[in-house]
Amino acid sequence: MNTINVSRRRFLQTSAVVGGGLVVGFSLSGCSAGPLPIDTAEGGLVPNAFLQITPDNTITFYCPRDEMGQGVTTGLGTLVGEELDIDPMALTIAFAGVHSDYNHPSMGVQGTGGSGSMPGHYLPLRQAAANTRAVILEAAAMALGVPVGSLTTDNGHVISGEERYPYGQFAEVAAKLEAPAETPLKQDSEFKYIGKERPRIDSIAKATGTAQYGIDVDIPDMHYAVVVRSPVAGARLMNVDKTPAETMPGVTDVVEVASGVAVVAEKYWQAKMAAGALKPEWEEVPLSKVDTAQVKQDYQAGFNSDEGVVGPEEGDIAGGLASAETVVESEYWTPYLAHAPLEPMNAVIRIENGEADLWTGTQSPAAAQGLVARFADLDTEQVRVHNTYLGGGFGRRGTQSHVIEATQIALAANKPIKLLWSREDDIRHGLYRPASLMRIKAGIADGRITAWDAHRVGGNQMPDTLRQVLPGILPGMGDGTLNSLVGFSDKVFRDWFVDPSSIEGLSENYDAENLKVTHTTVNHGVPLTFWRSVGHSYTAFAAESIMDELAERAGIDPVELRLRNTEGNPRLQNVIRAAGEKMKAMNPAPGHHLGFAAHHSFATDVAQIAEVSVVDGQIRVHRVTCVVDCGIAVTPDVVRAQMEGGVMYGLTAALYGELNLENGAIKESNFHDYPILRMDKAPMVDVVIVDSGTAPTGVGEPGLPPIAPAVANAVYRATGQRLRSLPLRLTAQA
Amino acid sequence: MIEFTLNGETVATDDDPSTPLLWVVRDTFKLTGSKFGCGAGLCGACTMHVDGVAARTCNLPVSAVAGKDVTTIEGLGTPDNLHPLQAAWHELSVPQCGYCQSGQIMSAAALLATNPSPTEADVDAAMEGNICRCGCYPRIKKAILAVGEGSLAYDATENAAELAEVQS
Repeated sequence: MNTINVSRRRFLQTSAVVGGGLVVGFSLSGCSAGPLPIDTAEGGLVPNAFLQITPDNTITFYCPRDEMGQGVTTGLGTLVGEELDIDPMALTIAFAGVHSDYNHPSMGVQGTGGSGSMPGHYLPLRQAAANTRAVILEAAAMALGVPVGSLTTDNGHVISGEERYPYGQFAEVAAKLEAPAETPLKQDSEFKYIGKERPRIDSIAKATGTAQYGIDVDIPDMHYAVVVRSPVAGARLMNVDKTPAETMPGVTDVVEVASGVAVVAEKYWQAKMAAGALKPEWEEVPLSKVDTAQVKQDYQAGFNSDEGVVGPEEGDIAGGLASAETVVESEYWTPYLAHAPLEPMNAVIRIENGEADLWTGTQSPAAAQGLVARFADLDTEQVRVHNTYLGGGFGRRGTQSHVIEATQIALAANKPIKLLWSREDDIRHGLYRPASLMRIKAGIADGRITAWDAHRVGGNQMPDTLRQVLPGILPGMGDGTLNSLVGFSDKVFRDWFVDPSSIEGLSENYDAENLKVTHTTVNHGVPLTFWRSVGHSYTAFAAESIMDELAERAGIDPVELRLRNTEGNPRLQNVIRAAGEKMKAMNPAPGHHLGFAAHHSFATDVAQIAEVSVVDGQIRVHRVTCVVDCGIAVTPDVVRAQMEGGVMYGLTAALYGELNLENGAIKESNFHDYPILRMDKAPMVDVVIVDSGTAPTGVGEPGLPPIAPAVANAVYRATGQRLRSLPLRLTAQA
Repeated sequence: MIEFTLNGETVATDDDPSTPLLWVVRDTFKLTGSKFGCGAGLCGACTMHVDGVAARTCNLPVSAVAGKDVTTIEGLGTPDNLHPLQAAWHELSVPQCGYCQSGQIMSAAALLATNPSPTEADVDAAMEGNICRCGCYPRIKKAILAVGEGSLAYDATENAAELAEVQS
């Protein structure tokens, strides 16, 4: 066994940067700082990459992060509104084109993920807006011939005495001035919009069907494309007779692309019908022989193999176990999962005269630009990316094989096209949340954890994600070099260092003097990527289940056990204490049982209580109470919505989510066999936001990890059955 | 040629009669508020009203609506003239990604048309066919019940006036 000792502190730092990051923790964007992708209106003021004010007082916010439902336009729009002094609802929202000014301030690439948008932009965007307000005031003072100090602002207007002047009136003059760089920001006590109860910016568009998603884009002469892919990931096309599709109504082209065979037709339904007539033959690959049972067997063997890497390690596990009064050892299984955003993957593309336009809802616009450039042999400057609202992201829209497909189809068919995946394509041809087998052996004495020995077996998310993203981020790099890089990352994470996203959350919650995390990579070739809350989506299930197992074995209250072992994590301890007090005061209905779990992820701390009943073997979650500390809640209602959404997404995984392999192919295909939580089974969620004066941390992901163990812990209390596999299934009627 | 009424206007299409109504509405008549989610009537993103009844249109052949009255989200209300449900969706900040919301609102509108004051159980039963992957269910339910109870505070006209004032 290779042992490389990374101190826990060092590990946590690395993990914070890389673990939840959408792409990579280092800057590879390669974007030149060319002209901004903004059309400046006549007389318009574009003081920076984020804002334009036109003479009619239209104030456009070019949102640098992608809106996938997490409320980023509302959240970042609130920062802009606060310092520019305009109601965020009055901003016109545009999604930024690709430019290095839109790179995430700490991730260094233009992408959205890792619950990083609010922490990354909290100060920089406020500064940009404050500078803009200052230059408007300066222009107004010049135009009105009054001292700047005599002017104030209110909701998009300059106030001079009794008079109100729209900002837009001074845009043209302001455009000739240099905006100041260091305008002082507001004190927290002066906030008008930050921290206030405010509506979402995008709710009217989304309630009236007028919000535009990638699938809604329509361009002149557009044809529709459907791709037939190998049922087994990575298997190449061996042979196909194109005739049956070519002769069907409306079909204009049947072309081969890297991932399979594409049918292009005048209408989507024609392309879809014709694609169904194709009977391609695919190559056999090692994955073609793998079933789910094989995966589980190989993972089990992984515990005993001498291949593996030790990650965080402190103290002496054997000594810690020897001094324990109570030792528990348990294994936990979590399956492969698809993200299943409700809008299936799609892309609209036009390539002509050495230029390309791409419309797609993406979590990674810069990589999308690079992919088109790479596969159409263009410079990135010749590729314009038009981002749209995303019909769900959850990590799925960070990788973009659909953009490669669309590019190859448009070139081969020589026409603008819209590529659309079906739901079956989405479930069967995506990248997945990895399956995991985890074993934790933990000991406690006097309520303190004396040893925490954790081992995870499964595939790593980073190499496959790099394989998808690097060709877009480094479009000029040759295939050989890229393959070496990806191969190298695979080897690194297999033999030298633990991929932080594989084990994040497995050991960080609790104080343990003696601690060790081991990782064994077993990879069958199912493509893997980040899924909402990444490693935490499965590690929290193991870590927070065994805490209840330990507490029960030792006869300690489970909340008390958590409190006693979080002295090193005071913010986590605080949410545990607050939620624990709520739990004590609860009086569940007869037959209802409570389960508790807490977890730290993406710098945010969350504790949850699930109220559960089990009737005729059916687990029903009635109510969830969620306590969250995310620092300053810029948009409290969006924080609540993300906690609600994280709970629901996590409940689907806890109660239903499971993908199985049969001869290497994903067996499930649509919502009948990959069910999603529905309204009649959805709990009410009460969210308590801890009053916190610290800088904001993210909320898109941290609401998810605690819910599965909270429900499992409640099910144990209801039935006496300790369920250690997801989805939770009772072995007999309880 | 198949004729039907789309949001009050008579339309005709020569699309293949087996083409699902969803694609005729989206690709031929260019109304994209109704969404594609599953192609099998399992998620409800494509919900429209056919003669006033909520219908999944991703697997409903257009031939089945010949001579019938089809209403889409575009026919229910507009940003300047919101249906009460749409106003409630805004007031309670219901949407997250928003992709399912057209279908959710069309299902809810069909429910309220026949049952103006539904109970929670009525709402569950009527909405069980609409998936929201973001998990907006508690807010969707609250919004429908609020419209049923007439407990809305939101005034769409006033809101539009405020925005107009900012941009004046």
